Amino acid sequence: MRRWVAHGGVALPLAVAACAYGVFVLPHASDYALRVLTVAGVYALLALGYGFIFGQAGALSLAQGTFMGVGAYVSGILAVRYGVAFDAALPVSVGLPVLLALLVAIPVLRLQTHYFALATLLIGQVVLLVATQWESVTGGANGIGGVPPLSLLGHPIEGRLPQLLLVWALVAAGAVLAWRIVSGRLGDAFALTRLHPVAARAIGIDTGSLRLAAFLLSAGFAGLAGSLYVHAIGVLSPDVLGFPVMITCLTIAVVGSRLRVAGAIAGAVVIIELPEWARFLRDDYLLAFGCILLLVVVALPGGLVETAERLLGWVGSRAVPSVMAGRVPAIFAPADEARMAGTRPAMTEGVGPFIAARAGDADLLTLVGVSRRFGGVLALDDVALTVRSGAVLGLIGPNGSGKTTLLNVVTGIFPADAGRVRLGGRDIAGRAPHAIARLGVARTFQTAALAAELSALDNVAVARGAARLGVGSALRAGRRDRAVVRGEAMALLERMGAGAYAAEAAGTLPPGIARLVEIARALATEPRLLLLDEPAAGLNETEQADLGRRLRGIAEDGVGLLVIEHNMPFLVPLADRMVCLDQGRVIAEGTPAAVQSDPRVIEAYLGTPPP
Amino acid sequence: MQGDRRLGSPKKGLTNAHHAGGLGYLFGMAFATLVLFGGLPVAHTAEPAPDVPVLVPITGFLAAEGSSQRNGALLALQNPPAGVHPRFAVTDTGTSPEGAVNALERALSDGEVTVVVASMLGTQMLAMLPIAQAQKVPLITMSGTADITRKGNPYIFRFFPADSVVKGAQVKYAIEAHHIQKPAVIYQTTAYGQSGHAEILTALAAAGIKPVYEDALDVGVKDMRPVIAKAVASGADSLLLQLHGGPTALFLKAVAAMDVHLPIVAGSGLSQPATVALLEPAELKGVCGETGSSPISGETPAARDFLARYRDAFHTDPDGFALGQYDATMMALEAVAKGATSAEAVTKALATGSYQGVAMTYKSNGHGDMAHSAVIVCFDGTSRVPAVVRHYDFPISP
Repeated sequence: MRRWVAHGGVALPLAVAACAYGVFVLPHASDYALRVLTVAGVYALLALGYGFIFGQAGALSLAQGTFMGVGAYVSGILAVRYGVAFDAALPVSVGLPVLLALLVAIPVLRLQTHYFALATLLIGQVVLLVATQWESVTGGANGIGGVPPLSLLGHPIEGRLPQLLLVWALVAAGAVLAWRIVSGRLGDAFALTRLHPVAARAIGIDTGSLRLAAFLLSAGFAGLAGSLYVHAIGVLSPDVLGFPVMITCLTIAVVGSRLRVAGAIAGAVVIIELPEWARFLRDDYLLAFGCILLLVVVALPGGLVETAERLLGWVGSRAVPSVMAGRVPAIFAPADEARMAGTRPAMTEGVGPFIAARAGDADLLTLVGVSRRFGGVLALDDVALTVRSGAVLGLIGPNGSGKTTLLNVVTGIFPADAGRVRLGGRDIAGRAPHAIARLGVARTFQTAALAAELSALDNVAVARGAARLGVGSALRAGRRDRAVVRGEAMALLERMGAGAYAAEAAGTLPPGIARLVEIARALATEPRLLLLDEPAAGLNETEQADLGRRLRGIAEDGVGLLVIEHNMPFLVPLADRMVCLDQGRVIAEGTPAAVQSDPRVIEAYLGTPPP
Repeated sequence: MQGDRRLGSPKKGLTNAHHAGGLGYLFGMAFATLVLFGGLPVAHTAEPAPDVPVLVPITGFLAAEGSSQRNGALLALQNPPAGVHPRFAVTDTGTSPEGAVNALERALSDGEVTVVVASMLGTQMLAMLPIAQAQKVPLITMSGTADITRKGNPYIFRFFPADSVVKGAQVKYAIEAHHIQKPAVIYQTTAYGQSGHAEILTALAAAGIKPVYEDALDVGVKDMRPVIAKAVASGADSLLLQLHGGPTALFLKAVAAMDVHLPIVAGSGLSQPATVALLEPAELKGVCGETGSSPISGETPAARDFLARYRDAFHTDPDGFALGQYDATMMALEAVAKGATSAEAVTKALATGSYQGVAMTYKSNGHGDMAHSAVIVCFDGTSRVPAVVRHYDFPISP
């Protein structure tokens, strides 16, 4: 009990309850109860898939019902018109929704928030129109009756119980697949992508590919659900493409817990069964159903499973004194984890086990004539500067002078309107942020951009080999993947002096510590160039001095540092050279002492002295 | 489910449920859960009584029509033939096939069902048919969808004239009364609309007429003026409608507002009191429509008696669906009264017998089509009560 309580999971109790139900109740259940539970299983698969795009990727897709409908239509038409059995049709009934999702993704997946939701909704309307108007193929609004029951390897599966068992076996397989994909570092990458997409790109995660993978996975699961649905119900009709199916799916995800695999299953059972339980209320049953849903959504905003996890965690916390939020097990101990991984490196200060080899004093980053305009504002105006390997360049300037914009241009978040940005002699202007990150450019943000629901350790671990994160690698590695890199991440946290906070949820970290964790995450990408945006903000003087020493150590390992900072007592001893920006232009460059005393810099900060 | 079982008026049970309050709901839900998961045996009354679940759409886009269907069934079940004491429960099927099969499975799991009052929605019927056949339980319905009696299923009995009958009457009347040659056909993108549209085209083709304009409207379309303008611009000499009740009312309002004077022969949506209530009598002037029957017109003493009892029970006017379902249910109950107490026996009685109902005489054509007559009703512009202007009796043929 201690372990599953510590994991904060409800999977085990749910599995035990399901087994008990299967053994003691199912054999005596009526056909009606079996049918409703079968339909609940279909919706569980639909919601499992929806968990990828709506839960993990955080994109409100309203096309999930459409993908289910397409799967249903493909399977139903193949079965009725061509005699193709359920299982033989699966490659097409699952593949076509995935193909449709791929086609849709090209124009739609770039959209954000409500634009994405609206676009996916409109796709559903188009498919619905095709289904109702293309009568010769789809049967139009009347649909097609006589869809044969489920079959396997040429054998029809007659009877409610065998059908239910097949559907729920597929639900179990789908749940294991989904859990394996999201339980490891890919799940962490999704979390960061969902919460801080810019930060995710800055550590080399191709967020576009992740969203695409989530969209395709959701379509595949929906296609399977649709295929099962049409064979279980026995009739094909446009209702399966209707918006109520999408609403049901969305409700299941929200009520169950959109970020939990178990949430999709629990939500489906509750949402599909609840109206049937309330039937005795006769004309009021839908009203009662709506009230109960409203109550759940308002009172349990995280959904049933997250609420259950919190309750179990509360019970577990009495037995396990360790306080651990986020996704790191409460019983996790860094040393144990490292032993498990067997890869924990020596944690000697000044040695960068994951840092690129020294590259001498070569010019690492070179900006020539870089300009960037936002409408009528010239944020960068013909900026030229150089960051050398193993050296620290301080970047100062009044607020609004263009310092952060410069970092954004270098990291590819904003393209430069003019000029060249070269990294180690290679032009990187116009490249995607994740591509630039993979070339060895890491950064932090003015406000630490960590995934609040992950532990500090996993926020760092996710950056290790982020370029290799994908569905395939997640399926191969599962949770082992995370275990392997946690040891390395721990070393980096300790190097930055934040090792004691490894197990804390990032959302609970003090601002100063969060900055250290963010720097550790940047180091995890094995950078050649590290761009820090006000790293000392929130630290006291002792911590600033400590951070300065650690940054100097990183530079001594050959990494070039570009540090934006207003805190001169921190920056001056750290920087080898300084550049001052004002109104987008470089107004001074040289040693820290020279720049500090430059009259143009003093004027920029203090204004023109009165005559 | 036992909690739903009752003898007599369903309103009694509903009132009790309301009085029970929240605690009662909780106990009820707990009991329902036990039944659902545990499959507890359901207690039966000792008195021999047919079990007649009423499974109709009383929510969703067919709520008005489904409610009429329910009311017709309830009027029969509450006033059964002497010696028959039907047990019944109303279940809302919604409008999805899933809702219909769940409702049917639930009813069947509760006990030995004698006959089922089944949804008037075609896609729901298509989903229920295999289950009815497997369980050997007859379904009596008002669905007009042609396909449901073309599946070779011996357990389906349709008491509303099939689309081929009513659309045949609609086209025939338009030709006879208005000598149409260039009709415009406006229909809905639903099963009702598409099925009727196909039959209208068939009937027109049989008369050598081809529509000059056709348009399909989503049920969400509110502004009918563009489609009317296009129909007029096409040179149409008449408008044949196959629209649901609400859209029919919107269409006729727009026609009146645009001062279009083409002859209009509408579908059965026009004959529903709820549709007519949305229109001023003047907006209805000269408009005709087909239907299986028009109880509100009170053509016969039996129809007037039905109208009075229906109004008394439900405080609203009946339409053809209500009367058709009343007749259907009464035919099944009469069969029970005559000794057909099992589902199989009722099936046989429905398949082979003949019944003189309030609206017409019902007899199966061998495929479960029981109604073979249609009427045309027209409004004179002074009242919302239409007059039956033409009867069409079609031969009973397979």
